[in-house]
Amino acid sequence: MSLVLIVLLPFIGSLIAAFLPSNARNAEAWLAGIVAVTCAVLVADLYPAVASGEVLRVVVPWLPQFGLDFYLRMDGYAWLFAMLVTFMGALVVLYARYYMSPADPVPRFFSFLLAFMGAMVGMVLSGNLIQLAVFWEVTSFTSFMLIAYWYHLSDARHGARTALTVTAMGGLAMLGGMLLLGHVAGGYDLDRVLEAGELVRSHPWYPAIVILVVLGALTKSAQFPFHFWLPHAMAAPTPVSAYLHSATMVKAGAFLLARLWPTLSGTEIWFWIVCLAGLLSLLLGAFSAIFQRDMKGVLAYSTISHLGLVTLLLGMNSRVALVAAVFHMMNHATFKASLFMAAGIVDHGTGTRDLRRLSGLARAMPITATLATVSAAAMAGVPLLNGFLSKEMFFAETVFAGEGPRGHIALPAMATLAGMFSVAYSLRFIHQVFFGPPARDLPRTPHEPTRGMLLPSALLVSACLLVGILPSETVGPFLATAARAILGDAVPTYSLAIWHGFTIPLLMSVLALVGGFFIYLYLYRHRAHGRTPLISRIDGRRTFDVMIIRLIRVAGFVQRLISSRRLQPQLVVMVCTAAVAALVGAHTGQVAWGPMPVSSVDPVFAVLWVVGAVCAIGAAHQAKYHRLAALIMVGGVGLITCLTFAWFSAPDLALTQITVEVVTVVLILLGLRWLPRRIEMDDPRRRTLRARARRLRDMIIASVVGVGMAALVFAVLTRERQLDLARFFVEHSLPQAGGGNVVNVILVDFRAFDTFGEITVVGIVALAVYALLRRFRPAPESIDLPRAQREDTERRHPSAVDPNELLPPGYMMVPAVLVRLLLPMAGLISVFFLLRGHNLPGGGFIGGLVLATIVIVQYMVGGTIWVEARTRIKPLYWIAVGLLLAGTAGMAAWFIGGTFLTSFTYDLYLPLIGELHLSSTLWFDIGVYMLVVGATVLMLVALAHQSLRSYRRPVATSSPSVRAEVDRTAEVSR
Amino acid sequence: MFDNFGMQAAAAEIFLIATICVVLLVDVFLSDSKRWITYALSLLTLAGCAWMTLSYGVNERVSAFSGMYVADPMGDVLKLFSYATVAVSFIYARDYLQRRALFKGEYFVLGLVALLGIMVMISAGNLLTVYLGVELLSLSLYAMVAFDRESTVAAESAMKYFVLGAIASGMLLYGFSIMYGIAGTLQLDELAVELRSVESPIGLVFALVFIIAGVAFKFGAVPFHMWVPDVYHGAPTPVTLFIGAAPKISSFVLAVRVLAEGLDSLVANWQDMLIVISVLSMAIGNIVAIAQTNLKRMLAYSTVSHVGFILLGILAGTNDGYRAAMYYTFAYVIMSVGSFGMILLLAREGFEADRIDDFRGLNRKSPWFAAVMLMLMFSTAGVPPFIGFWAKVEVIAAVLDVGLAWLAALAVLFSVIGAFYYLRVVKVMYFDEPTDTVDIQAGGTLRAVLSLNGLAVLVLGIVPSVLIDLCVRALP
Repeated sequence: MSLVLIVLLPFIGSLIAAFLPSNARNAEAWLAGIVAVTCAVLVADLYPAVASGEVLRVVVPWLPQFGLDFYLRMDGYAWLFAMLVTFMGALVVLYARYYMSPADPVPRFFSFLLAFMGAMVGMVLSGNLIQLAVFWEVTSFTSFMLIAYWYHLSDARHGARTALTVTAMGGLAMLGGMLLLGHVAGGYDLDRVLEAGELVRSHPWYPAIVILVVLGALTKSAQFPFHFWLPHAMAAPTPVSAYLHSATMVKAGAFLLARLWPTLSGTEIWFWIVCLAGLLSLLLGAFSAIFQRDMKGVLAYSTISHLGLVTLLLGMNSRVALVAAVFHMMNHATFKASLFMAAGIVDHGTGTRDLRRLSGLARAMPITATLATVSAAAMAGVPLLNGFLSKEMFFAETVFAGEGPRGHIALPAMATLAGMFSVAYSLRFIHQVFFGPPARDLPRTPHEPTRGMLLPSALLVSACLLVGILPSETVGPFLATAARAILGDAVPTYSLAIWHGFTIPLLMSVLALVGGFFIYLYLYRHRAHGRTPLISRIDGRRTFDVMIIRLIRVAGFVQRLISSRRLQPQLVVMVCTAAVAALVGAHTGQVAWGPMPVSSVDPVFAVLWVVGAVCAIGAAHQAKYHRLAALIMVGGVGLITCLTFAWFSAPDLALTQITVEVVTVVLILLGLRWLPRRIEMDDPRRRTLRARARRLRDMIIASVVGVGMAALVFAVLTRERQLDLARFFVEHSLPQAGGGNVVNVILVDFRAFDTFGEITVVGIVALAVYALLRRFRPAPESIDLPRAQREDTERRHPSAVDPNELLPPGYMMVPAVLVRLLLPMAGLISVFFLLRGHNLPGGGFIGGLVLATIVIVQYMVGGTIWVEARTRIKPLYWIAVGLLLAGTAGMAAWFIGGTFLTSFTYDLYLPLIGELHLSSTLWFDIGVYMLVVGATVLMLVALAHQSLRSYRRPVATSSPSVRAEVDRTAEVSR
Repeated sequence: MFDNFGMQAAAAEIFLIATICVVLLVDVFLSDSKRWITYALSLLTLAGCAWMTLSYGVNERVSAFSGMYVADPMGDVLKLFSYATVAVSFIYARDYLQRRALFKGEYFVLGLVALLGIMVMISAGNLLTVYLGVELLSLSLYAMVAFDRESTVAAESAMKYFVLGAIASGMLLYGFSIMYGIAGTLQLDELAVELRSVESPIGLVFALVFIIAGVAFKFGAVPFHMWVPDVYHGAPTPVTLFIGAAPKISSFVLAVRVLAEGLDSLVANWQDMLIVISVLSMAIGNIVAIAQTNLKRMLAYSTVSHVGFILLGILAGTNDGYRAAMYYTFAYVIMSVGSFGMILLLAREGFEADRIDDFRGLNRKSPWFAAVMLMLMFSTAGVPPFIGFWAKVEVIAAVLDVGLAWLAALAVLFSVIGAFYYLRVVKVMYFDEPTDTVDIQAGGTLRAVLSLNGLAVLVLGIVPSVLIDLCVRALP
């Protein structure tokens, strides 16, 4: 239970803190302090249980569907870290209480600090990998908010952004590693993962797992080559730096490596990756730290270097090295946090952290100077301090770990070198700031800070001393518990004594101290500052920035390469992709001619089809340049289709097709007039090589796709049909639906629901066309009369048509008389088609189209005004009534217990006339008929009316609405 | 009353279409100052739909119209989620539309019709019903994109969307008809049975290619993604918001109904195609998004990449995979609605707030909404503890379960790349100087709902079992 409390308390505190008023600095600090101390006490309270080797577990169902529990697990190692986090948290809160100025928005600071603490504790106590990843990212996120806290500092921006980008990306990589690892181990449970070491290491995914997990760890712990974010994150407030960037968050990477050490370590790949990163960080970090100007900069690079040391130890595949790593993590947290606090005090007291300006502060702030000196000595590895012990262990490990003569010499040599650097920068840090002549031009007069700021630092320093002098009595048992938690019973023998006699490690320590002293002396003489020699060009941050810019450029390039805002290339891509996919499909599936015999081709029919194909290609070719020609050719294609239907004895289909063709071609023809001016084919701009090539390409694509489609159809047609749909309809048409015309029966009975939907759509389309064209204003260039009409002077201007005239004078008189005579006959035929449709070619659709066609012809011959003045068809009503009829016909079936649109027939015997075949489908068909007529006429009105838009003289018309319309358009044209 | 006619399965749809007609009629007689009535009626309609769906909720598969139409628990969950999404879209859109004199009935009516299309797709038991839903949705969307008639950019993108969409619909239909020729049925459950006995006849692969091309287009997956950035960018932001949200649910259901239910036995064939599409989508979506300076365009490419992830779940071909994809869709919709909601929040007269630079210094103006956007961006990037993280985990785990480790690794790689551009938005908000000092002008409702939206991303990330449970119940 107390485990849950330890994790939850900080989050609850964080929420409360967020809602406290912004001036409640003391209340905030008290709250945060109490939370941190309570947590620390709770953790400490659990030690006896943990020390006895027990693993404390709390499992709360979290995501049962995924087999995930919220699993808190505390063993010795987790205990040690939990203690570190909570204890440090308490100290940092105390320190921050005095460090933050009252003007700062404190609630946010403490709120995020507590949230960070909770996340950190949650991470170290996580009992499964996913949960660990979650808390891991929460630490990234809260740390981002903490770094961003002082966003007005120019450096903070870049620093926080880099830190966030690097750690968040690393975290995602780690998540991938965790998922793989969990999958291989058979569960995300930490217990299971730790047991599955053998299994994991022999799995083929093992390298991927190691790389991804280590990537996450290295980014988080600021290890080479991802070390560059840490120095730039130093813009954060110093308590944050002390807490996150030295004691806790940056340790998370190392924590994870040690946590998964039993599972992942022990292989070559682990050794090379982890050791190399560690070694490079160790050396480069220490080397760079010597040349920093900023106090916190020195500390940041030194942190990189010390974490490198830890990483190096973890990579050595040696158990003693692991113990040393854990030990050094603790020691580093102690002395580094104390140093950060000292840096903060100096910054607070003097207003600067610049090493070149600071000098001789020991007189003004003696206590701070003493504390800082002791911690710096611990950092340098001076005997009798904790840093010495772990460094000694490290030196010993380097001596024994290497293989071959080179390993035996190179690794210890490099370790010693790093030790020298470490001594040098520690010396510089202390000597430059606290000793020498007192600085003069400081922004503020230096003074000793309040006790509240000194106390945390003092506590840490005393810890350094205690551990350094009495290691086995103070830290010994805790370290042993932690080591046992990781290694189980295989804990190696190690000694925490200060004195091991005259050994090689001792020699290395002495060398490091002396060498470091001389390096510093040399540099001090030559006043070397600022830019780090030799490696200043290897600037991780610049590389990072350059990479980011490159990435953006590459992205832009890819975008230009593959995307276009123009429609044509988009279409090309789409069609080509589908074609290629189909070709690939054809290659894998067996496409060949089927077994069915191919009938011989009638030459006449072949010629027919050649004509059709030529028309189709011609239409495509002319579509852009000569629309009328293209339209005529499209009509030609339709005609050939009709003939084909007729050829294969499908008169009803042919009839349907021809009526549809006529109506659509005429409607398009009417619309054509109002399209913008066409592009001339002989325009020189159109005749460039590029344009030709493009057209050629398009033609090839179109042909390939067309031929492919045709081939597919042939391939299917030459095969045994899987189902004989045609036969089904032919056989069932009469007995089930009582109709002899199969096409019509399909339309109004078998698939009546589809028809119902379709006629609804047709109605909507008509309304849409009407609504869109109602306010349509033609393009200025098409307002003029067409050329044909301009040249034809004999013909009267359309506006001159008098709607009251009975017959148009001139050469249109004869056709006018003819089509008027045709109207009643065509009407009769359409009704005839409608009525007989159920058994013979015909039906509502065809009937409707026939009527519509004759109305169109009236328009074409009689002229818009003449027809409109006399039309008796109110298209909107026709559409509405048609839909209602069809709908009621369908719903009627409900009342006789059938489903929607079930048909029923009734044979009525009438005296004199004889038997009358009545079917509910006729009702439905009448609906179709009316709708088709209404829709076509409505579209026609909308289109034809355009010709009146601009140059119709206001004449007396019979319809007031038309007059209003005319007035309006006249106004527009004026 | 629906009990008598055996149409309980379609109760909500029938209710919706009836109320759409009512809204449409009422809207005709409203003056511009009373337009809020349309808005309120639309929201009431959605509430009514939710009530209908809940009261006619089913525990197992129920069908109507001779199996053309089905209702199942998955459908109910998806429908309820769609209502909520559409409602939130309407609420977010209101302020923006009012400020630009676009507050007309069209947006809401078209939105409701699109919703009807989504519902039809969700409940489709037959390929024809699927197609009906697809078209109903697509046509509404085309019109919605062009609904700001003064904007030539919008008209252009609507035109492109229409042409490309029509071709894609054609491909889908072509695939359906070949499938019909092979199996002899359009009924999805019968299709599944029939195809099991068919031994790879000619045309099956073709049918699959065409169907997948159509599905990929509706998803906006590479290489059928071309319309996504243009439409997202060109359409008025409320429309983009709408397109980015509820239709994604329909794309998901399209894939599940057609591929998982109907073409279940061809899983080996479509898995390969989906792998290609998915990898391409993740790659191109994530890489090209980096180059964007316009937030809407960036989110468009981000959509493309997320579609890749959703497809990952589907291509696993297991129930776990579909569930993961469903969860991902939900998560994505929540995040997408929130992100576009943020743009609407900041937009004001003469200021679209659709460039990334428009978010500069938001933290200074409104720390809370900067935090909301931060949560949304983190979540979209897949960073824990937000909802987007669980979505990625589920999908990747589903892919790992079928042994496609390399695909999982690629997915992780691309999500790492993807994190970059989301973080850029965060950086701009927190560290750049604001370009102006104008305060956020949005109304209280928008602020409140958007805040809840942002919190949902966090809360559902901390307690993921709520939504996952829903998915499990939907796809047991």
